[in-house]
Amino acid sequence: MLEALFEGLVLVLQWKALVFMLLGIGLGFWVGLLPGLGGATTLALMLPFIYTMQPVEAFAFLLGMHAVVATTGDITSVLFGVPGEGTTAATILDGHAMAKKGEAGRALGAALASSLVGAIVGAFALAAAIPVVRPLVLSFGSPELFMLAIVGLAFIASLSSQGGRGMLRGFLAGGLGLLLATVGQDPQAGVARYSLGTLYLWQGLDLVPVLVGIFAIPEVIDLVVRGTSIAGTLPSGRLSGALEGVKDTFRHFWLTIRCSLIGTFIGIMPGMGGAVAQWMAYAHATQSARNAEERKGFGAGDVRGVLGPGAANNSKEGGSLIPTIAFGVPGSTAMAILLGGFFLLGLVPGPDMLTRHLPVTFSMVWTIVIANIITVLACFVFLNRLARLTTVRGQLLTPVILVLVFIGSYTSNNHYGDIVVTLLFGGIGYLMVLGGWPRAPFVLGLVLGKIAENYLYISVARYEAAWLTRPVVMVLLALAIVVIVYPLFQSRRRGAHA
Amino acid sequence: MSEAKERSMLAGLVFAALPLAALPQPYAGKTATIVVGYKPGGGYDATARLLARHLPKHIPGKPTMIVQNMPGANSLIAANHMYNVAKPDGLTIGTFNRNLPIAQLTKVDGVKFDMTKFAWIGSAASESTILAIRTDLPYRTFDELRKSGKQVVIGATGPGANTYDFPLLLKELLGVNIKIVSGYSSSADIMLAIERKEVDGRAGSLSSITPFIDRKLVRPLIRARASGPGSEDLPVDESLAPNPRAKAIMALRSAPDVIGRPYVMPPQTPDEMVKIMREAFAKVVKDTELVAEAKKAKMELEFVHGDKAQKVIREVLDQPKDVVDEFSKYIKFGE
Amino acid sequence: MHNKASLSLALLIMLASGYGVITAWSWPWKAALFPLVIGIPVFCLAAAEALWALFGKRPADGRASDFQLSRDLPEKETRRRTAIAIGWMLGFFAGIVLVGFPLAVALFVFLYLRLHGRESWTLSLTFTAVLWGIFYALFDRLLHLPFPAGWLSSWFGLA
Repeated sequence: MLEALFEGLVLVLQWKALVFMLLGIGLGFWVGLLPGLGGATTLALMLPFIYTMQPVEAFAFLLGMHAVVATTGDITSVLFGVPGEGTTAATILDGHAMAKKGEAGRALGAALASSLVGAIVGAFALAAAIPVVRPLVLSFGSPELFMLAIVGLAFIASLSSQGGRGMLRGFLAGGLGLLLATVGQDPQAGVARYSLGTLYLWQGLDLVPVLVGIFAIPEVIDLVVRGTSIAGTLPSGRLSGALEGVKDTFRHFWLTIRCSLIGTFIGIMPGMGGAVAQWMAYAHATQSARNAEERKGFGAGDVRGVLGPGAANNSKEGGSLIPTIAFGVPGSTAMAILLGGFFLLGLVPGPDMLTRHLPVTFSMVWTIVIANIITVLACFVFLNRLARLTTVRGQLLTPVILVLVFIGSYTSNNHYGDIVVTLLFGGIGYLMVLGGWPRAPFVLGLVLGKIAENYLYISVARYEAAWLTRPVVMVLLALAIVVIVYPLFQSRRRGAHA
Repeated sequence: MSEAKERSMLAGLVFAALPLAALPQPYAGKTATIVVGYKPGGGYDATARLLARHLPKHIPGKPTMIVQNMPGANSLIAANHMYNVAKPDGLTIGTFNRNLPIAQLTKVDGVKFDMTKFAWIGSAASESTILAIRTDLPYRTFDELRKSGKQVVIGATGPGANTYDFPLLLKELLGVNIKIVSGYSSSADIMLAIERKEVDGRAGSLSSITPFIDRKLVRPLIRARASGPGSEDLPVDESLAPNPRAKAIMALRSAPDVIGRPYVMPPQTPDEMVKIMREAFAKVVKDTELVAEAKKAKMELEFVHGDKAQKVIREVLDQPKDVVDEFSKYIKFGE
Repeated sequence: MHNKASLSLALLIMLASGYGVITAWSWPWKAALFPLVIGIPVFCLAAAEALWALFGKRPADGRASDFQLSRDLPEKETRRRTAIAIGWMLGFFAGIVLVGFPLAVALFVFLYLRLHGRESWTLSLTFTAVLWGIFYALFDRLLHLPFPAGWLSSWFGLA
């Protein structure tokens, strides 16, 4: 296997492939940065161009472009509080909060460095797991995936604030998310649930308009109210540098690694969806708070809230290659398009990709790693200058941000309904912030609702009651219970120490 | 040649050329748009983009062609747009879910179009639906499966998709012992479930299942009316129907398969523009570059003429009420 | 403010989940199960929160793991500015519907800079031109996003 690893690297380092990778990176940089330029749409637009390329070059181009989107999406999240991509919303919570404290440079540094660590760790975890990955994925059937969704939902408890009232609101937010996830035509009876008589809601609520609304709109309102720049009135007038953020990544190294592993694992599991990884990582990061004070700091600008999702949403990219190329099951729209690209280049996804064609698989993994290294290094050059955007007058930035918000949401379905959804959830997000309700559980509920429901029905239909006693299911159930109980246990322990 | 003769020849040539020069080129210098009722990345979108790249060569005037996505409600939104909003100037073409005639037939809420009134260009491909089961199961033919009476678990995405509807009819009308497990997020997820032995097989389009047949993961057992490469020899569901009503229902489900990738223009588009488009479509599916690209993308395009498409639509919509009622009991409009 | 917002949210959720449960009642059980299993507890929890917000003794100190809106200004001023912000956003949306996306972008950016930001004419015009140019080049020319014509142009038969 080591030879395959090496061969893969050699494949990537041919100069032509590198050139195309750079082209892809250049394109992917802007795609991730700008809301409205969706990774999936752009990939679809690029497909025709790869017909004329050699397979390795084409992969380098497509993957180079795709690998970078999650990294640069973090930049818009941190600087403006607008999710550049659906997968970078979690970084807004603490990343943008840091920007408002004048620590934009540090947040950006942390986001980028953790993205890089995530990509590398994810790649290596993947390489190491290749021998067991097929049996692993095959042993995770619908019951196990349902339980995994339950574990994800259990994180709602961690994401809620402290105390009884905090838990109540956390569960309410999560419950609302779960309820909203049922909007749309259900796959059991075909009933168009809660479509309110509109065609727009037939297929359910799209994640991006909701995220953009619930996170970006309150930020914009706050920006207008404050009347200052994003960074507000700084005491010393100096912005903290990106280097500080890099140091943070190493100060909390084990957390970053753990979140990378979470991301890789979620990425490998087909059918979990891209948005889940970052929120589970964020939830895990909040668990690393050592006392109640620290716990409150999350959401107000704790760098760990940036490290977690930053690492996870990159490591999951490497992970999600596995279901795509080893099983032909794409984990996201972007992967589905990549899969189309693979077909075009004559590659047949299947077990062969992990055995006979292992070097090609590794070359893809290497592409992701190298693309991320190049991007991060390139970004660092002008990271501090980017951070200065947070000192620009609010009046100039607000229209830009709002245009980005509106177009970013509109491109979900090219329908005015998208904007209505954004405005509506903007209002809800604003109320939540005003009332002190946590928004993260809501997102988790929304993202995991459909998955949980579908897998439950499949499990019961297929196995009746027997699925409950499958070994992995019981392990995951225990894990879910631990995840729910842990924060309660932690707060009691903190209470004892206080 | 005498001068007079030369002059008359010249005159003759000029007169002959006049009509050619006067031929209206309504598409010259214009931009035509293909509106796709789905998001980028799916089959309908890929077909549309492939066509958009090669059609201009075959349209006099060589217009620019772009693709716009208008997803939502299983392309009902796009179809409504094509019917009510888009201008019939020949510059807007629409493609949407082939099952929309069924939506119209079963009076789905939200249908604001009449399929028969569209200016039909035709279909760019036909679809072949098959049912395939895992190769390690002992049934080699459909007959064997049926006779054994043992239960097979078939995975599906949801009502309205052929992954669900086709096996449902096999179960309800042919009495095969099938248990349908629905809810998988995509047909690719069902394939994975097959590998995991969570389900025993799935139904779906031949083109999407073929790679797995080649990989020997599944073997095809039975097909619907339209056939494709590799499925010609399979038994057809309709021919096994126990009574004319059942046959009519299965035929109704299969009818849209013939217009696998429907392409229309808004009602009252001028006839000559429709004619130009039809000719362009007929030519483009034979275009060598397109065929090469399509092959790589595992797509197979063939032109089904608009008149034939309209015939199929009328067939669907003219079904007697009792057939429609029974049909509606099983089939709901969805994916 | 905390409390009022919490109360409104709780009431909203009660409304939504109540509506959800009532509508779901008539569906076939497979479609209704999840909405009911989630909707009913959510309704009860929301009711609990509403009661707590109304009658709870302690001032709502549920500081969320989420950002806090700045509280530097007196409440009246904050409310005024919030209303202005919301007004601009709704106005932008109205613009999009009335005159179409591209024109609305140009109008909004220009008006916001000029009226709200009180920027100079030159700055407003240049900024708008540059922003609009990038927007147009990217989303119309490159991506061919469908931008429906505004209502005004179809009412007056312009487009």
